[in-house]
Parts: sequence; structure tokens; C-alpha cells
Amino acid sequence: MIAVVRSEWLKLRTTAIPWVLAGIALVITGLFVLVYFLNHGAGGGGQRQAIDNGWGPPHPAYPHTVVQLRDLLGRSLTGYIFALLLGVLIITVEFRHKTVTTSFLVTPRRWRFVLGKLLMAAIAGIVLAVILIAATLIGGGIAVSAEGGSFGSLAGQLGAVAPGLILVFALFALLGVGVGSLVTNQVAAIIICLGWFLIVENIIEAIWNGTVKWMPSGAASAAANVTAGRGSDIGLFNWWQGSLLILAYGLFFAAIGSAVLARRDIT
Amino acid sequence: MTSAIEVRGLGKRFGPVHAVDDLTFEVAEGRVTGFLGPNGSGKTTTLRMLLGLVSITAGSATFGGRRYADLEHPVRHVGAALEATSFHPTRRAEDHLKTVALASGIPTARVDETLELVGLTDVARRRVGKFSLGMRQRLQLATALLGDPEILILDEPANGLDPQGIQWLRQFIRGQAAAGHAVLVSSHLLSEMEETVDDVVIISQGRLVLQTTLADMAATAGAGTGMRIRSPELHRLAEVLNAVPVGWRQVAPDTLVIDGATPEWFGPFAAQHQIVLYELVNERRSLEDIFLELTQGFDASHPMPVDSGQSAPFQMPGAPS
Repeated sequence: MIAVVRSEWLKLRTTAIPWVLAGIALVITGLFVLVYFLNHGAGGGGQRQAIDNGWGPPHPAYPHTVVQLRDLLGRSLTGYIFALLLGVLIITVEFRHKTVTTSFLVTPRRWRFVLGKLLMAAIAGIVLAVILIAATLIGGGIAVSAEGGSFGSLAGQLGAVAPGLILVFALFALLGVGVGSLVTNQVAAIIICLGWFLIVENIIEAIWNGTVKWMPSGAASAAANVTAGRGSDIGLFNWWQGSLLILAYGLFFAAIGSAVLARRDIT
Repeated sequence: MTSAIEVRGLGKRFGPVHAVDDLTFEVAEGRVTGFLGPNGSGKTTTLRMLLGLVSITAGSATFGGRRYADLEHPVRHVGAALEATSFHPTRRAEDHLKTVALASGIPTARVDETLELVGLTDVARRRVGKFSLGMRQRLQLATALLGDPEILILDEPANGLDPQGIQWLRQFIRGQAAAGHAVLVSSHLLSEMEETVDDVVIISQGRLVLQTTLADMAATAGAGTGMRIRSPELHRLAEVLNAVPVGWRQVAPDTLVIDGATPEWFGPFAAQHQIVLYELVNERRSLEDIFLELTQGFDASHPMPVDSGQSAPFQMPGAPS
């Protein structure tokens, strides 16, 4: 299986997918960080008012509390949708360019092909998470420093935030492969994923209260541990329950996808 | 002679359509077997069933008794070159081969060897999207050869090759057979394969029409043919021909055709009667003619009796008996 993953890694980095996706994800994460600082600068966070009142301890205008710093670092969580698309693209690109013919000649047992993609996607998801966290740390850290805070205070929260983000990215990339194994048409798979997260989930949540914790996005928030200690307050699972839920979704789709693929004629 | 590939009662239904029906043939080691039939006759479907890409609805297709999917690292035993479109356009030629090599435990040094073998060394670092059809065909061949397999399956490999490329392909295929490998190569043109193949398997409408050796097919082609003679003394030639028991007919003012004659007979005959000849042509039907008759005139509801694997004498539609 290691050999298959090495082959998959070479396949992935010889396509435009990782570069384009990572680029888009970086830009969007950068925008989120920027918006975060703009809000603070405009007094949206309420800190400036505390200073103006002239009493009580002076509050700096930059993120300095643990919650604020973690919140800033956690901005890149929004990139998990890109991890999902990364997973979708990793498998559907083979059908789009018909390279799946060669892949099935090399790996005629098709569940092994899907398994290789799942492992590759999980690794690629981790790499994407690390890139985005690093970008957030650098961008956010520079901004915090410029406003008088310390880079180190932000970096100090890395250990609390990064593992959850990495976990969520790996699991969502895996979920993407599951979806892509079932819906091998690239465009259809992307539309289904985006449509689910942007529209369908919101509708379901609006109709049935409390379903959010069963939704992939709710599970992502839980698994990322951004609600540490508050999970139950807002009706989410804890981090490992959320992780298992995403994993279960991913493997469920991958199992059905593998079974369908095993019967499919590649012509 | 051992069989490298065995196809037994193979069938494939797409809904109500029998794309391949009760197909049985063998491919021998150390020989090149031409898999011939018109477009849409079921060649590609058969090859894809052999390779586990298309599911089988009846019968079996095996390599030394094992299905493709049951082979350990199949690309090291069976090399396949199917259609020339299945490359990722941004991937470099050598990277494409490396993905296959890595997954199959083939040393990556073999990548350069195969690129050299098919003459793509100069473009190894070029993206496949920029390749011509001929270059893609060569890269497909390189992919098939990567695992140094003992069995090669090539689907219309001559498509898109220029005349030099086809010449190269012929020598290449002959070289593979000479090395003891079994080669199954499909084509819709017999003429393309005539100089390359040892055995022929001809199918039409998904059913076997004929399995024989090319030599036997050529021998049969020779039967029932004639000689075309051009001579300034046609009337005198006609006189002497009327004295012997052969049929002839005039086809032009200075040309006639003698049925069933051979040069060995006619040469001395003409010399004996001191007839001046301008032209003496052995008029045999080409293999391509026979191939076309077999595949076009073949009625799928009445298959010809075929003794598979043997070079059985066969009756050709339209052939004089």
C-alpha cells in the first residue's frame, strides 16, 4: 500500500490540482484574517471602547486573550471545504482524463484503488492544513506584532489549535474521496459538495432544529475543538465523536463507491 | 506450444446487445496473433474483458489459467496499450511512467529504458498534453512494456503512426515475439498486420469467424486465382490456349486472364509456342480481399464451423470450389 500511496503522491503533484487549490485556499484564508483585523480595528470587538472609558485595566486593540488568539489562528478552519474539494478532485480527475484505465490496469482490485486515494487524500489534507496554519500564523503574527502585540503569543496557541485543524482537513479530504468514488463526474461531484455546504445544510438546519451536530459542518466544528469546553453548550459533539462522524461519512460513501466501481465497465 | 491467453466461450451483453458472443480462441507464446475485425465487431470489448476493465457476462478469459485481476502485479506479466487518450495532460511522459512503476514495484531505472526503447527519450520531460497522436501511441507502448511483461496486448497500435512509425512498430512486435513473448494485436486492417502476424483471429459482430495461421490463409488465398497476360500476339495465344483444357477470358484488347494457371505452368507453355509476352501477372486475391469477404459476408446467425486452435481448412464465401 505504501507503493500505491507513493504513486498517488506523484500523480497528485504532477497535476495542477494541489497548486491551484492551495493557492485559492491561501487567498481566502488571508481574506478571513484581514476581515478579522478590520473588525477589531473598527472597534467591533469592543476593546477600544474599554480604553476610551478611561477606567479599568487598559485593553489592547489587538487579539491578546487566549480565546481571541485561538480564534485568529482558527480562521483557516474555513479551508476545510478546500480539503473536501481536494479529495473530490484527487479521485474524479482520473475519470475526467480517463487515466483510470491505466490505474485499473495497475490496480485491478478497485477497492484498493479507492483505498489508495483515501490514504493519499488524508495526507494531502494534512499538508493543506499545515500550509494554511503556517500562512495564518505568519500573516496574523505579523499583524499582531505591528499593532504592538507579540508574535510569540500567537505562536503559543499553535499547540491548542493546529491538531484539531489538521484532523478536520485530513478527514474532509477523505470524505471528498468517498463522495468522488460515488459521483465520478468531476463537475457533478463539485456541485454536489458546494451545494450541500452552501445550501442544503442550511435548509435542513432551519427545518429541523438540533440537526447541526449530525451535519458534516457541525462535526467539523466539533472535531476542530474550536468549541473546547463549550461543545455541549451549543449542541455539538465532542472532538472525537465529531471526528468519527466525518470518518464514518467518508468510509460509508467510499464503500458504496467501491462497490459500484467494481461493477462498472471502463470503456 | 503453450497458450499464453485463453478465451473460452466469452460473452458480453450490453442490455439486449450481444457485443461479444461465445468467443473462443487462444494466443500462443512466441507468436504474434492478429485480432482482426471491422470497427464495432467487439475487438476492444474483448480486450477490455481480458484485462478486467469490462465485466464478463459469459465464459472466461485467462492468462495461464488466471484472471487478470488475480495476477500479482499484473503489469509485470501483461502489458496493455489501449486507446491513446488516457494521459493526464499536465503530466510529463517520464512521470506518467513513474506512477505506474511506483505502484507496481518496478525499478524507476526501467522508465528511462522503456522511453529509449520507444524513442521518446528526447521528450521525456515534456508534458503529454503537447504530444502528437503518434507520440501518445509510443508512450502507450512504453507503458505496456514497463513491467517487461511476457504477454503484450495492443489495441490498434498503428493508429496515428506515420509510415516510418508503422515500420518501426512491425519490427518492434516481431522482436517481442522473437524474445518468446506472446503478442495479441488488434486491427481493423489486415493489410496493416500482414507482415507482422503469425496467427489470425477474425471476428465479426462479436463472433469468431476464423482462427488460423496467416500461412494457411495465404495458401487458401492463392487457390482459385489466375494469371493476367498482356501480349501483342493475343489471337495466337488464344489459339494455343484453346488446345489445352484451361478456361480463359479476354479482359482488354491486348490482355487476357487464364483461370487457375500458375507461372510455373504458363512460362514454359508460352516459350514452347514462342509467344511474345509484355506482362505476366499472378492474379491472386489479396488477404485483405478475403478478410473483407469473411467479415462482411459473414452471417452471424450461421457461424462457420471452426476448429479452434487448428489450422483447419476453411471455406471462404465467394471462393470458387
